Amino acid sequence: MTLTREPREQEHTRTTTIVTRVRDRARATPGRIAMREKDFGIWQEVTWADYWENVQLVAHALLALGVEPGDRVAVHSENRREWLYTDLAIVAVRGITVGLYPTNPAAEAAYLLSHSGAKILIAEDQEQVDKALAVLDRCPELERIVYVEPRGVRGRYDDPRLTAWSELLEIGAAHREENPGAVERRMAATRTDDVITLIYTSGTTGPPKGVMLTVGNVEYAIKLLVEGGGFTSPPPSERDLALSYLPLCHVAERAFTVWFNAAAGVQVNFAESIETVQANLREVQPTILFGVPRIWEKVLAGVEIRLESASPLKRAVTRFWLGVADRIGDTLVRTGGTHTPRTRALYGIGWVFCYRALRERLGMRRVRYAASGAAPIAPAVLKFYMGIGVAMHEVYGMSENTAVATGNRPGRIKLGTVGEPHEGVELRIDELTGEILTRHPGTFAGYWRDPRATADVLDPDGWLHTGDVGEWVDGTHVRITDRMKDIIITAGGKNIAPSEMENALKASPYLKEAVVVGDRRKYLAALIGIELDTVGEWARRRGLPYTTYRDLSEKPEVRELVQGIVDEVNERFARVEQIKRFALLPKELDHEDGELTATQKVKRSAIERLFADLVEGMYRSR
Amino acid sequence: MTERTERVEPPEQAGAPGRVETAGRGRAPAAGPDAHPGGGPGAVRARRPKGRPLLYTAYSQDMALLDTRAKKVWLALLLGAAILLSGLPDDLLVLLAAGYIAAIGAIGLNIVTGYAGQVSLGHAFFVAIGAYTAAAVSGDPGGRTLGFGITSMLVWLPAAGAVAALAGVLVAPLAARLRGLYLAIVTLGLVFLGEHVFKEWDHLTGGPGVGRPAATPELFGFRFDADSALGTRAQSLYMLMLVLLVVFAVAARNLARSRIGRAFSAVRDRDIAAEVIGVPLTRYKTLAFAISSFYAGCAGALMYTITGFFDPGSFNLLMSVQFIAMVLIGGVATVSGSIAGALFITLLPRLTQELPALLPFVSADTTQTPNVFQIQVALYGLLIVLFLVFEPRGLFGIWIRVRAYWKSWPFSY
Repeated sequence: MTLTREPREQEHTRTTTIVTRVRDRARATPGRIAMREKDFGIWQEVTWADYWENVQLVAHALLALGVEPGDRVAVHSENRREWLYTDLAIVAVRGITVGLYPTNPAAEAAYLLSHSGAKILIAEDQEQVDKALAVLDRCPELERIVYVEPRGVRGRYDDPRLTAWSELLEIGAAHREENPGAVERRMAATRTDDVITLIYTSGTTGPPKGVMLTVGNVEYAIKLLVEGGGFTSPPPSERDLALSYLPLCHVAERAFTVWFNAAAGVQVNFAESIETVQANLREVQPTILFGVPRIWEKVLAGVEIRLESASPLKRAVTRFWLGVADRIGDTLVRTGGTHTPRTRALYGIGWVFCYRALRERLGMRRVRYAASGAAPIAPAVLKFYMGIGVAMHEVYGMSENTAVATGNRPGRIKLGTVGEPHEGVELRIDELTGEILTRHPGTFAGYWRDPRATADVLDPDGWLHTGDVGEWVDGTHVRITDRMKDIIITAGGKNIAPSEMENALKASPYLKEAVVVGDRRKYLAALIGIELDTVGEWARRRGLPYTTYRDLSEKPEVRELVQGIVDEVNERFARVEQIKRFALLPKELDHEDGELTATQKVKRSAIERLFADLVEGMYRSR
Repeated sequence: MTERTERVEPPEQAGAPGRVETAGRGRAPAAGPDAHPGGGPGAVRARRPKGRPLLYTAYSQDMALLDTRAKKVWLALLLGAAILLSGLPDDLLVLLAAGYIAAIGAIGLNIVTGYAGQVSLGHAFFVAIGAYTAAAVSGDPGGRTLGFGITSMLVWLPAAGAVAALAGVLVAPLAARLRGLYLAIVTLGLVFLGEHVFKEWDHLTGGPGVGRPAATPELFGFRFDADSALGTRAQSLYMLMLVLLVVFAVAARNLARSRIGRAFSAVRDRDIAAEVIGVPLTRYKTLAFAISSFYAGCAGALMYTITGFFDPGSFNLLMSVQFIAMVLIGGVATVSGSIAGALFITLLPRLTQELPALLPFVSADTTQTPNVFQIQVALYGLLIVLFLVFEPRGLFGIWIRVRAYWKSWPFSY
């Protein structure tokens, strides 16, 4: 594998890592709040001293269990305190954290565990323990499974490899008694090229690949994004609150939760689950909020539903002010996110009547920086948030470059672009293919146990091939057309980027999924999945009875509704880019069924295979 | 009481496995003294981040008496207004003072009927017991009726409450055996029993049509029922009743958010389910009657200090119905509703007296029809019917609705 970084001078001063940052913070401000997690109905607080104490105990336990530098430790859990304790402890003992998506089915978990060769698995509960036990024979290197929630495991399973979290802490405490300072000694040996985590790509095509990020990569990202204020302005601080709800094994959530927390002291609040995000948002009222397009779309759809069922006066007032917000949004888009005196005045009045309350209800009253990333999003959705006063920024990055590539900066927003390259980031667009290439110290060390794939994306001179096709806008901002391999070439020879159309469709509150097909066909068609909540509510208001998702999808009235949306979207596109026919998906797409990746991205090829008859139906002559 | 109720208790269902689990969830059992993430007694301070009223970091915040800033502001405003009201003319002050006393009684009825769900029509009986106990304790030993000559409020007020509470405890076994309508009828029987006893027991009550002097409101030598350097008689009584109402209301609110209050609600919502989760029914029903009767007794003791004289015929079914009306119109299972309902019912006669001036066909003369007294009686009935049909949660419910309308802005839920 090609390592592009020049070997750094071996510092005599100890290497700064996220662990030393947490340790220093625990010494400087032991009593301040590092994180909160809702437990038995109240937000249990963890101070920096508690945090560091737990990290040390887990780290000692890992030493006692024989974790050597470079050993992999897997974490299969929802976001919670123990995730962070473990992640930091692993970095402290120079191990490698492997995050598994909580939704990973057993087969995928088996692949990730065996491919990474994890020695220890931290499994959240019985569900994850069961997955691991089911595939143990395929993971010979797995020596121990630590379960965090004893319910359903303790006293029922007698596999000798099982250890409870409380036992792990006891092991750690005992080890610390005997070997005081062992963790600190191990930490002192940390080098900047130590790999600290494997971030498995979601694998829309083929099996997931493990992206190796080093201490140096993460420190670079922290210096640029956190301390340098690469996203937020002013940079994040201890006074900021964040809500952690997206999978921590994804690089974006890891950055916004673990790195923002360790480097800037941002207080992390763990959502109870993805279903309770809206309620938790209201409680926590974070100041920094990162979301994937699906979340932003869903919140917007929720506003629509609740507005429809509001009393007439409220509906009229809110509709009026949302109309105003739309115009404010237009102006902000033009100015790059800076208010003009007129919009500021308008917003001020609207704040009294609508925006303050609306943002409070959405849990975004105090958001000073909101970001969307990890997938393309329709500009209309972003504009909605900008209009109601949520400072929304689209950002771009990927696991392979430690999430460092481009971002819209406050006041210099260009809607529809992913922003400007961060300071010091080299970014160019390949003249031939249009592919976006980046080069900076955050570029990953390679794919785990896959030098061929590494060579495919990493030039000898350090350029990372992102696989995204893009173009410059006004010479400063980057617009992403689509993933390279998703580009559709119709029978007429026209290159079409499906994601733009798909996002335009998904911007409608009634549609959840849209997959445009038409590669080597004479026209474009789309597989469309409706949003059960909104369409269900729509049907209910019309007195349209339905039983299941499938039943609702097959209603002629629903088809008409979707047809209307498709027609509306088609008007915005050139004739050859228009969707001529569409089919409604008979089921909600699911990770378990292999239709979505763990990050809820559609697996295009799988969809086209699974719903082949639907696709063929759309190309049969009428 | 506040100290007691603010104790952080784990939820009822958190048995041993739950505790182990929390220990597993990030609490280091072998950690040093500073390792008290969240739940530990050392870490629970009200240090939640600013401007996030829904972010509870300790149970004490969740259960706080005044958990939102709005409540604090409203309470301060209302108290300020109540104190400013002492500048009103004396006849209105006396009326308001009577309303405050009625509110104490209504809170008492709300504890047993609203919070604990035990319908009681016998409230007048307990009020009577309190009134007579207080009158007897503070009465003139040489007088026509029974009296012990201890005029200090510090003695006769608790005594009135205690004797009434004792009566409540004696009645409670009925409540433990009966439910709903049957309990209502049985407590109704108490009123008739009481009425008869009080009419016949001349030595205590003075007999029907004659009556006896009420308790003397005296505290450390200060007479509230006489003009003094601090203000007129009406002003002294008004302030006394206001202070007492605040004390009783705060105590009731604290009770409602304590373990006892939660047990009451559980009993009310489904007594069998409550028993299954470990709420001792008999004990809590007895407690509900005892506390409710204590309030009624105190209210009874104070009620006649204003007029100074009372007749055994006052403690009839109408009085019970008036208390029920206060609770229903004010709001079931709310303290502030009880106060609002009591003031409303007490001020209603005064309002209807103004009717002849507004509506010429209404007469102030009892010999003519329609007259204000007929309208008054009809209004009680009409209001109860209207409230039960249109707003079963009473005046407080209307407030809740108004509040919810604005709180849910810009949506409807």
